[in-house]
Amino acid sequence: MATNLAKFLLLLYTLSICNAVTIPTPISDSHRSAALQLFHGSSSSLEETYEALRVFEILALENKPDVSATACQNVVENLGSSSSLKDLFYALKVNGILKCKVDKGVFQDTASRLKASVNDANTLVDIYYTIGSLVLIKDQAPDVDVLLADADGTFHSIKALSQSDGRWRYSSDNPESSTYAAGLALEALAGVISLASSEIDQSRVNTVKSDILKLFDSIQKYGTDDGTFYFDDKFGGGREHEGSLSTTSSVVRGVTSFAAVTSGKIDLPGDKVLGLAKFFLGIGVPGSAKDFFNQVESLALLESKRQVLFGKIYNFITTYASNILFWYRVPIPLVLSLPATVYSLSKKDQLKVTVNTVLGSAAPPLTVKLIRAFHTDAKGSAVIEGKELQYDQSSGLHVLSVFPDNVDVGTYVFVFEIVLHDSGSENDYAIGGQIHVPIYVTGIVKVSNAEIAVLDSDIGSDETQKTLDLAGTGVVSLSANHLQKLRFSFQLTTPHGRAFKPRQVLLKLRHETKYEHIFVVRNTGKKFEIILDFLGLVDKFYYLSGRYDFELTVGDAVMENSFLRPLGHLELDLPESPEKAARLPPLPVDPYSRYEPKAEIAHLFRAPEKRPSQNVSLAFLILTLLPFIGFLVGLLRLGVNFKNFPSLAVPATYAILFQLGVAAVLLLYVLFWLKLDLFTTLKALGFLGAFLLFVGHRILSHLASTSAKLKSA
Amino acid sequence: MAKLIFLFLTLIPILCTSFTPEKPSDQRILVLLDDFAVKSSHSLFFKSLQSRGFDLDFKLADDPKIALQRYGQYLYDALVLFSPTIERFGGSIDAAAILDFVDSGHDLIVAADNNASDLIREIATECGVDFDEDTSAVVVDHSGYAVSATEGDHTLIASDDFIKSDAPVLFQGIGHSLNPSNSLVLKVLSASPTAFSANPKSKLTSPPSLLGSSISLVSVIQARNNARILISGSLSMFSNRFFNSGVQKAGSPTKHDKSGNEQFFTELSKWVLHERGHLKAVNVQHHKVGETNEPSIYRINDDLEYSVEIYEWSGKSWEPYVADDVQVQFYMMSPYVLKTLSNDKKGHFFTSFKVPDVYGVFQFKVEYDRLGYTSLSLSKQIPVRPFRHNEYERFIPAAYPYYGAAFSMMAGFFVFSAVHLYNK
Repeated sequence: MATNLAKFLLLLYTLSICNAVTIPTPISDSHRSAALQLFHGSSSSLEETYEALRVFEILALENKPDVSATACQNVVENLGSSSSLKDLFYALKVNGILKCKVDKGVFQDTASRLKASVNDANTLVDIYYTIGSLVLIKDQAPDVDVLLADADGTFHSIKALSQSDGRWRYSSDNPESSTYAAGLALEALAGVISLASSEIDQSRVNTVKSDILKLFDSIQKYGTDDGTFYFDDKFGGGREHEGSLSTTSSVVRGVTSFAAVTSGKIDLPGDKVLGLAKFFLGIGVPGSAKDFFNQVESLALLESKRQVLFGKIYNFITTYASNILFWYRVPIPLVLSLPATVYSLSKKDQLKVTVNTVLGSAAPPLTVKLIRAFHTDAKGSAVIEGKELQYDQSSGLHVLSVFPDNVDVGTYVFVFEIVLHDSGSENDYAIGGQIHVPIYVTGIVKVSNAEIAVLDSDIGSDETQKTLDLAGTGVVSLSANHLQKLRFSFQLTTPHGRAFKPRQVLLKLRHETKYEHIFVVRNTGKKFEIILDFLGLVDKFYYLSGRYDFELTVGDAVMENSFLRPLGHLELDLPESPEKAARLPPLPVDPYSRYEPKAEIAHLFRAPEKRPSQNVSLAFLILTLLPFIGFLVGLLRLGVNFKNFPSLAVPATYAILFQLGVAAVLLLYVLFWLKLDLFTTLKALGFLGAFLLFVGHRILSHLASTSAKLKSA
Repeated sequence: MAKLIFLFLTLIPILCTSFTPEKPSDQRILVLLDDFAVKSSHSLFFKSLQSRGFDLDFKLADDPKIALQRYGQYLYDALVLFSPTIERFGGSIDAAAILDFVDSGHDLIVAADNNASDLIREIATECGVDFDEDTSAVVVDHSGYAVSATEGDHTLIASDDFIKSDAPVLFQGIGHSLNPSNSLVLKVLSASPTAFSANPKSKLTSPPSLLGSSISLVSVIQARNNARILISGSLSMFSNRFFNSGVQKAGSPTKHDKSGNEQFFTELSKWVLHERGHLKAVNVQHHKVGETNEPSIYRINDDLEYSVEIYEWSGKSWEPYVADDVQVQFYMMSPYVLKTLSNDKKGHFFTSFKVPDVYGVFQFKVEYDRLGYTSLSLSKQIPVRPFRHNEYERFIPAAYPYYGAAFSMMAGFFVFSAVHLYNK
């Protein structure tokens, strides 16, 4: 968990600036506008109301939403009833800001109720709320008696929960200790001290002080050494896990309130206090109300406790008059920030530095010294040494008006130091030691002497050499074969006339089939030169002849005129690819093509067979009928007769039936053609056939017998 | 027992509101974080999700209690991985579990960063997105950077290389390339031609592996089961700081008060979480022209009508889908007919065509794959038979001579038989 958290914070930090040192900027207007968005004023619980009010108070917002009416009503309800300790605590906190009209008697009742429950409370959270509420009542109604009779006992019961490493447990039956709880405990202890009717044993207070120091031993920092510190809990301790922000904020709240009520010095190292401030500022603008409150309140506590605590501890000044300077003990962090870390030589920017407290208010009179500045590539040699920045009264900026001439484009690290004018107040402020700030000095780099040539040999002939103005848009067209070479060279110089080596100098050749080849152009001194020996590159080019477009990319973080520029094209004539040459890798297909609608497909129907026209068919029909007509005419001409037709009734009937049957079969064929299907036809034909067989047999045997009689006769 | 019943009864509404085909937007989203601080530093993104009705469940990625499914039921509809540095998830979640989650149709949002862990890289690779193998590399663009007074190393990129945007989108993180063999993954935000992916602190000695506009900054994948995945190389893109920050692209005189990030991710998350671009097809019908009942078989050369209703999910309700590129195929091994459907702007798509003169078992197929929409794949099987024996043409004029010959022969036979029998 802790390692992940550290990683994450590392991430946050790398995000905030991807380079060596974080320079947190103080609370600014972006915080104020974010606060108005986060806290709408329509908070559901008193805790949220308090957080909103407190943030508005600290940030001194003017157009804050007015919630006092509903909040006060809520406060009075909670104070009157026997609400939970937490609600009571936050009701009092809200009242502390809003100053609602609350009956003195209500305070009296509440105070006595709380006092009675102090000794019953057995978890740290309950004690914290009880003591906290009593302290708040004391501030809001000074004449209510809130002093604890058995302050020593309460102090002891809280102290009993502490662990040897400076952390606290939530309750005596919970073995897990937590840093978050330590913050609560310290705040509660501070409350007990301020509520004590008699002075707490100094030795006990001193053990708590050493606990605080132990707690600060467990402070965490990021992997990279940028001087940011924070507290983190390893265990949730049975409660919901507190993030590092709320943990750190709880410790800050505890330590500052404890420091405020005790005499003597707590040797909190200034760099750690500054580190805590950096941690809170490094978060940026939190998106949740709770985080926002924690961040802003902690920063406020780190900064302005002199004003805030003065009222609270007013009563003690009489008691501890000997130690009147006690509220200076936790040093106030001062933050050095730069409005910009990118400076343009072409625009003649000035180096500006601001020094503020964490909440963005003015710092005491001080001087910012630029101890030295060095190029990141040459750490040994400083370009600037020991310069004092001029303070501009009107803007509140410390300004280095002109960059010295030896500061050329590049990345530098500037080392600043804050020197307070009033040397006596050095203990009051955590100013940190030397502050390293990465600075980018940018400028316009001159591109010149661009030449491109196709060479037959290394020596080269001037005939094909072409010059190019890289600042313009002109292009060249060249042609070469695989025995030749292409030489391309140009120079880059900084505004101060030195050679400039950008990070990105890439020459790209793109074949018309979209195969790309990229070359890094290297430099020798001022001159960048690349020689493409096509004989050695044929394999890499997959033996693809044809047109190659080439373009140059030059870019660097400090180069203001980074460019991508087409240079022209080259007709390359390469030999045929041998059989074992590497195959062309497949080009990525256009992924959008599968989303296109497909081409429509219509089915090709089989073409109907060719037929003659109807007239031809009819003509041939008539032709086919002619033989039949010829046959009939022939019969008539032959003089047919029906004399053989039986004259007897029975054979005549059979003869008629037989002829009718034959006619019926033929008619059936006609019907088959016209409408009937095969099955009906065959069925009918079956009956007709049997009938025909019978009558045919009869008539034929009759005819046969009459002709036999005739012959025998 | 009574308690259990009570628990069950209280669970019913929760179970019922989960992902259903009738309401395709996701409901419950598991957000895995490296630290709860992300919840606050990226709160605008989360708030926009919550305000759209999503139920976000924030968990630390190494929380031992996290689980995607219980008793075979998935507990969430979508997963947001805002934990770029996690090496091992807590609980039962691992890369395979996440891929199973996607395979069962759930959505995924992954944000990586400069120090993305192997686990996150592995998940991305499985989705067809290959982050730069050089772990120290970030995307640098010396021409398309966002002008900033405090960030001089040009790793903060203002990218406007995407569809319709007012302000460029700020990006700071690692680049990735898309697997060319994966046709499902698409670049949403790509780097400019001058960008490259390399360690910003070291010199370039060899050409960087990722260069120019082939670098993808944000990619989306729609799997074949319509699960949607968003992969971004930058977690800070989602942060409040980037959402609220102004942006001015280098070389451009216009300074936008607000970066395009918020709009970009609001719209993108709408898509990923199925609030947009989700189609459904209902009421597939086909019948012969002039009839209304669906036949069980068609004959070759029948004229038929095919219709389908397609609706688009608007986030709240199903709206008629309007497009003129929905196509139906009449398919047997390969499409015999492919026709674009007409529509009446009320979601009703229809067309008519003649059944091909090939018989066999055909399918009506609608394969609708459009950019940004879930793919529709409908198929309905239908056999096609040839003509019956009595369905052929019967009175062909060209055949009259043959008929005439046959019938004159028959008449001749009748006359001849009578003459032959009774002539004397």
